[in-house]
Parts: sequence; structure tokens; C-alpha cells
Amino acid sequence: MSIFLSNEIIVFLLIELILIVLMAISQVNIVSILRHWDFDATTPLQYALEKKNYLVNTILYFTVTCKVILFLFFIQSLNSLAGIVPGAMCSAGVVGANHYGNALLLLKLLLIFGFGLWLIVNKLDLASITFPYLKRKYLLFTLLFIGVLGEFILEILYFSNIPLTVPVFCCTVVFQAPRLPFGYTQTLLVLFFYILFGAILLLNYLKQTMASFTCNLLFLFIAYYAITYFFGLYIYEMPNHKCPYCMLQKEYYYIGYLIWGSLFLGIFFGIMPFLIEQITQKSYVYLLKYASLCLIITALVCSVYVVRYYLMTGVFL
Amino acid sequence: MSKIVIQNLNKLYNPNKPNAFYALKNINLSIEDGQIVILKGVSGSGKSTLLSLIGGLSKPSSGEILVNNQNIAKLPDIMSSAFRHQKIGFIFQSFNLLEGLSVYQNILAPLALTKLGKEAMHEKVNQAMQLANIEHKKDQNVGSLSGGERQRCAIARAVVMEPEIILADEPTANLDKENSFIFIEILKKFKLLHKTVIIATHDTLFDDLACIDRCVQMRDGELLE
Repeated sequence: MSIFLSNEIIVFLLIELILIVLMAISQVNIVSILRHWDFDATTPLQYALEKKNYLVNTILYFTVTCKVILFLFFIQSLNSLAGIVPGAMCSAGVVGANHYGNALLLLKLLLIFGFGLWLIVNKLDLASITFPYLKRKYLLFTLLFIGVLGEFILEILYFSNIPLTVPVFCCTVVFQAPRLPFGYTQTLLVLFFYILFGAILLLNYLKQTMASFTCNLLFLFIAYYAITYFFGLYIYEMPNHKCPYCMLQKEYYYIGYLIWGSLFLGIFFGIMPFLIEQITQKSYVYLLKYASLCLIITALVCSVYVVRYYLMTGVFL
Repeated sequence: MSKIVIQNLNKLYNPNKPNAFYALKNINLSIEDGQIVILKGVSGSGKSTLLSLIGGLSKPSSGEILVNNQNIAKLPDIMSSAFRHQKIGFIFQSFNLLEGLSVYQNILAPLALTKLGKEAMHEKVNQAMQLANIEHKKDQNVGSLSGGERQRCAIARAVVMEPEIILADEPTANLDKENSFIFIEILKKFKLLHKTVIIATHDTLFDDLACIDRCVQMRDGELLE
């Protein structure tokens, strides 16, 4: 049986293909808009481009929103693929089935952040009469479109290289000795997690967008390892179960969606004000409030599991 | 001071197709604040197209339409809608009332999109009904009104937002003589209220009326003034 015969993958790839076609149509129009756009002109060409701009905006708004929603479907599909990939017990096994999996996931995450940035710039552009960010917005989309094409190629490579006859490693991989970045110990990792978390809250309060941007990117990296290799143990209540995906499953009350969702949203809101400033020269610091709120949820939920476990057993894992 | 300035305006329908045709050709027109202007011409001369462009209902193929010095042809759709809602009152030939609703509810409809309080809305609706002389029918369903009454309801709805500009497309086409004269009386009230009014019509009733500031003749999409 081929992985391409699974219902989830058929639906997923079909939607991806439709979105790519829509984006490609938009991209063709974007090229002509970028080449000839002159807002001050009242020529037939300019009016035609303005009409085209509305069409392109509508298509892109739809496709970009779909891509964001499709990411959640992709995660869900990975979970359900665990049922047909031998050896896989959760997404960890499916993602780790070949070396394209983690790269694909990382690219998807970057694209989601990129799409989010595009949606905000688009909103600012449409709210102004003169379309001041039109060219930058479309250049950004062009970059994202290249990313989407790369993502699609990676998806095909990834799905076609998932072995269905040879068992894959799943959480067994992560049962082995943890491979933490820079040789960190768990204690150091958790310490960094809380220090960075505190620093981000402070920087967000002080509205330091650039510093917050840097710390947020660092925090994303540290938080991934901290959640997987430390907090995850308390969620699973098992000292050797180091998996970022199992917490997304029903057995753990889907708590992973709250943890990862609030983390990614927090990071997104944390890095956006700086990026938006760079593109539009407009202040969007109010997003930092949401960033702090989301990261507080992440840290709070993670910490509650540790405290709860300690109160129940009197020991730390 | 010019309320509306139209420069080099063209409207091409079905561009790049064999049946492409210019509904408006190089229109240049300036309308002062508080003027009542008649656009005259036979069917197909471009009167309604010009009205729809001034009202921001459609976009030109080229040229400018400046209302209060702002080129409304360049407004994004969402702002174009806001512009229409706040600045323009439309009176259509077929009235375009919301069937099934009462006169009061029809006139109230544009106010539903504002943040006005109930009392303020009620007051505005009453003022508009008085101006259009339709308050005695306020609770009646619009489906049961006569042609003249329906039009007065449409007029009240057009003015309830207190627009600066009123656009009327063949307002007397579906009216008998008596109701047409009532419309002219309302037109005189608009003049007193210093509204800028543009009427597209081929009705000779408007010829030589004292309240009319200007009559512009159109033919085959061109101004003959």
C-alpha cells in the first residue's frame, strides 16, 4: 500500500495543489501589478490593475487563511498516519520516518509565521487609501510562494519516502539518552526557559520590539527542547517518554494543542511588531501584550504539570 | 467651490471583447456645492452610467471623479461603501425598497449601520418622513403603497443620512403628473437645504424650472454642453 492512498494524504495534497494553482494565478497577476503599478495615474491600465489587485487580494486572503488552517490538518493527518506506518505510535514516528519530516515541519512553521506577517501587512495596506505597502506586500508573497513550492516538493519527497514495510523508530528514539542542544542538562534547559520567559515579559512590557524579536526566536528554540525533554515527562508522567507529539493525543486531553498553540502564537505575536516596523514603519506594539499573555499560558500550563506531579508523588522526574 | 469635479472620464464596457463600447467618452464636468443639475439625454446616452460613477457604484476605465477634492474612483471598495453611505443619497427609478418592511423600517435601514442611539434614529427618520411628506404612512407595508408614495418613501430613505449629494435616476419615470409635481416640490426643499442634486432624466417636466441651476445634455456618452 502506498502512503498516497491514505484518505488524509489524498485530501491534504489535493487541497495543497488547489491552493498552489490559485497562488500561481495570483503570482502571474502580481508580476504585472508590480511592473506597472502607479497609484497616482488615472489611466485605463492603472484602473485595470486596481481591479486586478482586488481579485489577487481576495484569492490570496483565501489561500493564505486556508494554508494556516491546513497546517492543523497536517498535524492531525500525521497523527492518524501513525496507524498505518509500522512502528509509529504517534506523529514522532511518522515525522521521523525519513530525514525530510523535520525539515518539512520546520518549513511549514516558518511559512505559517510568514503568512501571518503577510495577512497583517495586507490588512494595513487595504486600510489605507493609497495602497502604500502594495509592492512590499507582493514581494513578501513572492518569497512565500517560492517557499510554498519548496514545501510541496518536500511534501512529495517526504510522503513518498515513508516506509510502510520497514518499522520506523517512534518514541523509542526519544526514550534513548536525550540529545540536548549544546550539551545542556535538563536543569540548565529549564533555567534558560524561565530566564528567557521572564526576559520576554520584561521586554514586551518595555515595548522593546527588536530585543523581544531576538529573545522570542531564542525562546522558541529553547522552549521546544524544554517542553519535549522536561515538561513532557510530567505530562506523560513517565521519566523516559520524551515526545513533542503524544501530548496532542486524546489520552493527554489534547493538552499539546494548548501548549504548542499558545507557544507558537506567543512567538508569532512577539516577533511580528519588529517585522511589521521594518516593512511598514508602523508601530504594532500592542501585539506584545498578546505575546506575553500567550507565553504566560504556555509557561503556566507546563509548570502546573510539574507542580501537580511533585504534589502527588513528592519527587521530581 | 466645486463639489464635484469630473476630468477626462471614460467608461468602457466589455474591454478587450468584440462588443466593447464606450458608455462615457472624455467627460469633463464641474458641479458647485448646492447646485441642482439635470443630466438630459435619450436612453443609452450615458446618464445612468455617469450617476453610478459619481455615486461610487462602479469604477471608471480612466479619468478622475473628485468629490470634495478626493478622487472617489481610487477608493478601495470598503471605503467606497462608506463614502456612499455617508455622502450620497440615491433615488432609483424603480425605488428599490425592501418589500415586506414598513415605510418606517425602510427609512430606518441606512441608520442601522450607524452608532446612533434609538432616540436619535427615531428623530432622523421622522425628519426624513416629514421632508418627503410620507409620515402618515409610516407603519404601512411598502408593498401596499401607490407609486408616488413608494417614491416618497425612497426619497426619505435617501435623505435620512443627511447626505451632501443626492443622485436621482429617472425619478419621475414611474409617476403620474400629480406625483411628479410633488417630487418637484421636494426638489425645492433640497435646494433650501443646500443639497447638491444630480438628476438623470429625459422628462421635459424639468425644463425651465426655477430651482434647476444647470441642464447638461448628453448624447452617445458625450457631454454636449
